[in-house]
Amino acid sequence: MTKLVVGDGRTHIQSQLMRESLQDRAVLSKTDSARDLQIFPDVSMVSIGGQSIFDRGKDAILPLVAELAQVKKHHKIVIGVGGGTRVRHTVSIAMDLGLPTGGIAQLVGAMEELNAILLNALLAPHGSMPMQRDHFWDLPLYFDAGITPIAISVPPFHFWEPPPLEGAVPMHGSDFGMFQMAEVLGMKQAIYVKDEDGLYTKDPKHHKDAKLISKITLQELLTQMPAENILDEELYRTWAEAKNVKRVVIVNGLKPGQLTRALAGEDVGTVITKDVP
Amino acid sequence: MSERRTIPSALAGSSLTGSQHMEYRPVAVMPDVRVVKIGGQSIMDRGREALFPILDEVIEARKQGIQVVLLLGGGTRARHIYTIASELDMPTGVIATLGKYIPMQNARMVQMLLAKHGGLYILPDDFEKLPLYLQLGCIPVMSGMPPFGYWEKHEEGSRIPPHRTDAGVFLSCEFLGAKRAIFIKDEDGLYTDDPKKNPSATHIPRITAKELMARDLPDVVVERVVVEYLPRARWCKELQIVNGLKPGQVLAALRGEDVGTIISA
Repeated sequence: MTKLVVGDGRTHIQSQLMRESLQDRAVLSKTDSARDLQIFPDVSMVSIGGQSIFDRGKDAILPLVAELAQVKKHHKIVIGVGGGTRVRHTVSIAMDLGLPTGGIAQLVGAMEELNAILLNALLAPHGSMPMQRDHFWDLPLYFDAGITPIAISVPPFHFWEPPPLEGAVPMHGSDFGMFQMAEVLGMKQAIYVKDEDGLYTKDPKHHKDAKLISKITLQELLTQMPAENILDEELYRTWAEAKNVKRVVIVNGLKPGQLTRALAGEDVGTVITKDVP
Repeated sequence: MSERRTIPSALAGSSLTGSQHMEYRPVAVMPDVRVVKIGGQSIMDRGREALFPILDEVIEARKQGIQVVLLLGGGTRARHIYTIASELDMPTGVIATLGKYIPMQNARMVQMLLAKHGGLYILPDDFEKLPLYLQLGCIPVMSGMPPFGYWEKHEEGSRIPPHRTDAGVFLSCEFLGAKRAIFIKDEDGLYTDDPKKNPSATHIPRITAKELMARDLPDVVVERVVVEYLPRARWCKELQIVNGLKPGQVLAALRGEDVGTIISA
């Protein structure tokens, strides 16, 4: 039976955290455990690059859509897309205007959404639907019906984007947003579809001696992080503190079959793993 | 293979991380607004006796032409759902989503009480309508919980979302470009320990975020992320914690006076 506790002027509901300061480390540590509930452990998250795929237009987009139409028959996937060059243009104008970081964060999601509409239009005949922001509890229905959800990739930080570690550009973009969705839902893996074979020691577009990193643990990667990274750094920082996601794969979306192999669990592109309990 | 079609801009080809070697002269959106938090456990859970005198002072400030936006905390019902959700090993993002509902209830309660004085319940995205509401003399009331929800990150050693309603108040203040975020609690501000449990705890009237972090206290009066963000903020450079149970403190704070504890960047 739930008890109401009075006597210090406040009315409390009896609970472990009653009266406690939620800033107290000793109190906070009592709430944690090694693993979280895994809500959708058989689902993979697929994030498609904005600059790397969509900004290349038809020649890059259509073969990838054809591959997605096939893989969706065999795998439960949630798709998200990046915004690419239009995001960079938005941010450069907004920075010049001196808009606050939260204001910039409020603006950028619209550019990713344009790519999501394009992808939906192309994939709808094969069974796809836009998923509303956090309508995760509809996912079983989507998968039962053979529908692949296309998610909103930019996280809803909006006006509340925290001050970045450096500069004024929001730190939480679509790479982070899709990762966090995979993390909170306890998904099997997060696959990033880009226009390179994976993560290199340097940007292969500018350096001939760049070497592909085919397999690495997150712990190793954090100690030798390439300066020019194909994924947002915030993703790695978040992953280091996260509890669920064990595997992140970066594949080349310009090479047909790479995404299919990654979904089948093959080591393709760059595979980053994290040991979790 | 087709090339990337890139729009020329200062950030074209940029990874959009870190500092961008771009001149940035920030503009304050609404610098005169007072962004004020009413605590959940500290004020709302005390009911009428604690809340009504605070609202009277907010109404008085509004009559004096001070623009106030109220954000509400959660309190004991939030702790109750956090406890049960933690037992069930719910991810932090699920707990942050659960945590949205109670501050929303509290904001609706305050709106009903302030309605006849222009109290207006607003949603996070309504910031764009604030100029109208404030010019009309309204007192906008909203939940203090940031809208991160499922996207709230796990923090080492805790399942509780690190960004709760204190963070929402600070981040709202920072976006609006106001200098000081005001937190109405049931204590005079910062102490060397929890004064509710340790009677020998002493009051700290003014401290910098750096000094506060250096003390590495086991417990602090505002959420840790806020203290961490303060030095990086462009606008919100001060947090003021005032005792809403002491008559006159809230109005003094709204008038810009240094009462309670001030934590500065």
